[in-house]
Amino acid sequence: MFKTSKWRFLSIVLVVILSVALFAGCAKEEEPVATETEKEKDAEPTPDPGPVEIEIFQFKVEMAQDLDAAAREFEKAFPNVTVVIQTVGGGDDYGAALRAKFASGEEPTIFNIGGPQDVEDWKHKVADLSGEPWVELAHPGILSGVTVGNEIFGLPFNIEGYGFVYNKSIFADAGIDASKIVDFESLEAAVIELDAKIQAGDLKDKYPNLEAVFDLPAKENWVTGLHTSNAVLAQEFASSIEAFEAAEVQFTYGDALKALIDLQANFSPHADNKYRLNAVDYATQVDMGLAIERVAIIQQGNWVFGGVKGIDENVANNLGFLPFPVKGAIEDSIPVGVPMHWAVNKDSGDAEIEAAKEFLNWLYTSDVGKNFIVNEFFFIPPLKGFDDFPPADPLAKSIIEFAEAGRTMPWVFMGYPSGWGMDILGNQIQKYLAGKITWDEVISVSIDEWAILRK
Amino acid sequence: MKNSKFWFFTFVGPVLVTFIIVVIIPTLMGIYFSFTNWDGINHNPDWIGLSNYFAIFERGGDFLDSFVFTAKFAATTVVTINLIGFGLALLVTGKIKYSNAVRSVFFMPNLIGGLILGFVWQFIFTNVFSHVGGVLGLDFLQGWLATTATGFWGLVIVMTWQLSGYMMIIYIAALQNIPKSLIEAAEIDGATSWQKLTGITIPLVAPALTIGLFLTLSNSFKLFDQNLSLTGGGPFNSTEMLALNIFRTAFVFSQFGRAQAKAVVFLIVVAIITLTQIYFSKRKEVEM
Repeated sequence: MFKTSKWRFLSIVLVVILSVALFAGCAKEEEPVATETEKEKDAEPTPDPGPVEIEIFQFKVEMAQDLDAAAREFEKAFPNVTVVIQTVGGGDDYGAALRAKFASGEEPTIFNIGGPQDVEDWKHKVADLSGEPWVELAHPGILSGVTVGNEIFGLPFNIEGYGFVYNKSIFADAGIDASKIVDFESLEAAVIELDAKIQAGDLKDKYPNLEAVFDLPAKENWVTGLHTSNAVLAQEFASSIEAFEAAEVQFTYGDALKALIDLQANFSPHADNKYRLNAVDYATQVDMGLAIERVAIIQQGNWVFGGVKGIDENVANNLGFLPFPVKGAIEDSIPVGVPMHWAVNKDSGDAEIEAAKEFLNWLYTSDVGKNFIVNEFFFIPPLKGFDDFPPADPLAKSIIEFAEAGRTMPWVFMGYPSGWGMDILGNQIQKYLAGKITWDEVISVSIDEWAILRK
Repeated sequence: MKNSKFWFFTFVGPVLVTFIIVVIIPTLMGIYFSFTNWDGINHNPDWIGLSNYFAIFERGGDFLDSFVFTAKFAATTVVTINLIGFGLALLVTGKIKYSNAVRSVFFMPNLIGGLILGFVWQFIFTNVFSHVGGVLGLDFLQGWLATTATGFWGLVIVMTWQLSGYMMIIYIAALQNIPKSLIEAAEIDGATSWQKLTGITIPLVAPALTIGLFLTLSNSFKLFDQNLSLTGGGPFNSTEMLALNIFRTAFVFSQFGRAQAKAVVFLIVVAIITLTQIYFSKRKEVEM
């Protein structure tokens, strides 16, 4: 009898402890909300127009704390403004949460918008920012995704770029001068030369893993269907908005896309069995490819840096971008784009709108703000004037060099019809690599599907 | 007894209300949405009649392709899972050492989530297979999951590996219910092992077979997570099964209405197939 009651007591204690722990866990997350409401109370009763409160509703969880620190710095510089930050994580969730936030009537002053679909959805809510001082500092083409006519609806978070990431030391040891690669022809010549040296075993001593020039992750439809195709379609559409509005796609440079795919496939480890590329994924290409020096060049973006660094820091520090040449069109550039933008709610009060604009301007043009952008958020700045704040990693540096030389093309894939890039074009390219269809069929099917999806 | 109605609703009521809210109403709403062009955002989609249903069978035929692939997959796995599950059950109910430990080992794959399992096996198929194939010079081990055929067999292997242990448990329960006296009588009459198996064991295990077939058939038709993580439908959507196809239609192409129509067709087809199967295997069962 005593024994069972002891057990019962123990289990009750356990349950209580566990549920307290659970509630404590919940409460911890709610804490910032509580402090925000306190601030709102502070701000409300003062009738004097001086104090202004702006609310930022943003999605990048990884920089929430740093953004908060930046806001405190801003408040020091502008004592009459209070900045409240709310963070809701992750792509799709953010879109739904933002809609719910607006529907509830608690509209934020600053929020995030992505590509053209967002601009379209939120057009009636976002303020025109074309009069802001940072507009003149933007790299060419960087604002194209949020520009409609003369109006600019967003300040880019950062820029990201992709292209052919190459291992500089392999190039140096093979005696190939990467600076001579300025178009498709010179790229192809360099690849053939490198391939010959790899096949002859000349580089075997220093790079025992090296087996091919490229690896093409055709399994990752976003690499082929979105990124590779983007370079080619950027010749056809000037911006993602233009792609978004296009009822049809022409594929004027369809052969250039074939050339990019063929080049990577023919000099990959699976050149004789190209269907096997359809099982090559991102990890094989980057972690088990570029990072261990199994291949010399891959088509990827600056986001691979962290992963490669985690495997081999020497390799990571020796990476750079080659041009991503579209045969017969722009051959010396890389596609550079903006994944997300800041937008200002035009239905906020005039004072709030001004303060919001001031905050964004401060964040991207003042020295304190710039330091946050580069060294705390680890962004590649979307604007000029960051010369005193050099980025840490070589891929980011390489992108800035391309951007400053004006050798960039826009990201238009955000304006493709939903699912078209990955599930239509990407799959057609897989079929092409498997030898099931010809290249002409890849292009004709993709053209037809674009029109159907736009209906 | 006059209170029986009261007690009936007291006990059944809460469950009934929950069931109506989470099953019946969503199903009816789903059927309604299958007649609209709902895109997942707009709250007032237009009524477009049966066009979604026509479109499923017309355009591109991707639904039909998925259907054929799923049917082939289900037919194959029903055979492999039940054969292996039954075989394992015979094995562990026989006279072997550590039979309980062995049972646990066979059952264990079932405890791993489908997504993780898919990713683990993806590594095995693409990296381990190709490495082993390279060392042994076996070319068919290269390029797994890169073709439709290897994607298909990859899915079959994973599904069989995972579900056989579960079926084994069901068959063990059935095997242990067979009266020893029947077996002994047969032995006295001089029956061989094969005769005992086909004449006594299998007929008496038939009720478990009904359950086993039903579970494997419906699970294979509804398979989603392993499909998503192992092949993701690739290469070129040729290994995309019905559930994944419906999911993609909705969340990739934002055609929620059409996806709902596919889901309704899916529901009807799976119901017809499994009900037919139950009807026929029920007739084969013997009463003791």
